[in-house]
Amino acid sequence: MAFRFLGFFVMLVSVIIAAQAAVSAELTSERFTQLHRELQADDAALWRTIPWNTDLLVARRKAGQQNRPIFIWAMDGHPLGCT
Amino acid sequence: MLDRASTFAHPQIVRLLKEKFVPVALDQADTRRQQDSEGDFYRQLAIQHSAFGLSTRNAKSAISRTTQGFYIATASGELLLYNNNRDPGKMLRLMNEKLREFASSQQDQAGASPVVLQSDRESESEDKVDQRYGFQSPKGGLVVRVQAKVLGGYPPTDDPWREIFQSALSRDNLWISAVEHKSIVQGKVPDSLLHRIARFHLVDNTRGEPLMWKPDEVKRIKMDLADGQFTGSALIHSSNNDRGYDAEIRGVIEVADGSVIRFDVVALGKCWGEGPYTRNPPPGKFPLAISFTLADGTDLADSLSPQGARGWLDAYLPK
Repeated sequence: MAFRFLGFFVMLVSVIIAAQAAVSAELTSERFTQLHRELQADDAALWRTIPWNTDLLVARRKAGQQNRPIFIWAMDGHPLGCT
Repeated sequence: MLDRASTFAHPQIVRLLKEKFVPVALDQADTRRQQDSEGDFYRQLAIQHSAFGLSTRNAKSAISRTTQGFYIATASGELLLYNNNRDPGKMLRLMNEKLREFASSQQDQAGASPVVLQSDRESESEDKVDQRYGFQSPKGGLVVRVQAKVLGGYPPTDDPWREIFQSALSRDNLWISAVEHKSIVQGKVPDSLLHRIARFHLVDNTRGEPLMWKPDEVKRIKMDLADGQFTGSALIHSSNNDRGYDAEIRGVIEVADGSVIRFDVVALGKCWGEGPYTRNPPPGKFPLAISFTLADGTDLADSLSPQGARGWLDAYLPK
């Protein structure tokens, strides 16, 4: 048990040290380019292939015309943005 | 974020949504308060579920607490399902079940008079619109995608839900006014824009809705622009220093024909602390990177108003 706890503690400290190292890296031109590329949405993500409507009334009209039920994804904050 | 990586990452659910439903995504905190046609229809659906129907006397009054979740409903306003469970297997089963019920009710009504649908144009012109919601991006201004990611520092976890948060890339929009846009084209970064970036966009929103910064919590925000290059830094923290962000900023900007055509910026720094809806950050100070990219309108989220403008546009983008 003591060994397991020690192992977890060592791992946690390593993670924190690694995080500190990552953040202390200077924002060089190369790092900027790499991060800017990395921090972009994955266009291939499945949820993004769904033809989401953002207006409930437009969705309601389409549902009537296409004889389909409406599926509503309602969140605190916009689900397509920050939630 | 959890839904994107669970329910809407399930191939069969995605296929059903594309082929059998009309999917709609909305911020229920706005929609349930809207005193207009969209708000009326949403409340009409929500109060059919016992969890929400008890909290309001009629569909016209605002529902006083969150109504978030998944709904399946008919165009005529009948609620077929409310579910706030993220188990994809359960969701798929319920969706199929409700599709069968829907098909069966359509067959029952086959002999009845058909529903007369107005054209989109006629119907839209009759819709009431609550101007306090659904803001439009500033004319002549810019929309910039803002995406944040925690780069490390989380303790290892076997919890798949926590793992989703730990690897999440957030999304918000920065709005830049026409006057500010003109100023950038002339090579200056106006203070109003600097402070909007600091207060509303240098935040850790990777685990949920973040607390925005108060004006006096912004201790330093600097972005010098020279020869198309941004360099700068930011230091922001709460009065008791339990939350903060200390970052370097770097970027590239390009202008053509009097308009900004490239706005690539990155902030990289140490972040610390949490908000009521962004619990369980990494311990201590952790690396947070935030990118800014000019939106081109090809992403559905490009049309959303900034989180910081929610409920009060003038505080975010003063006239």
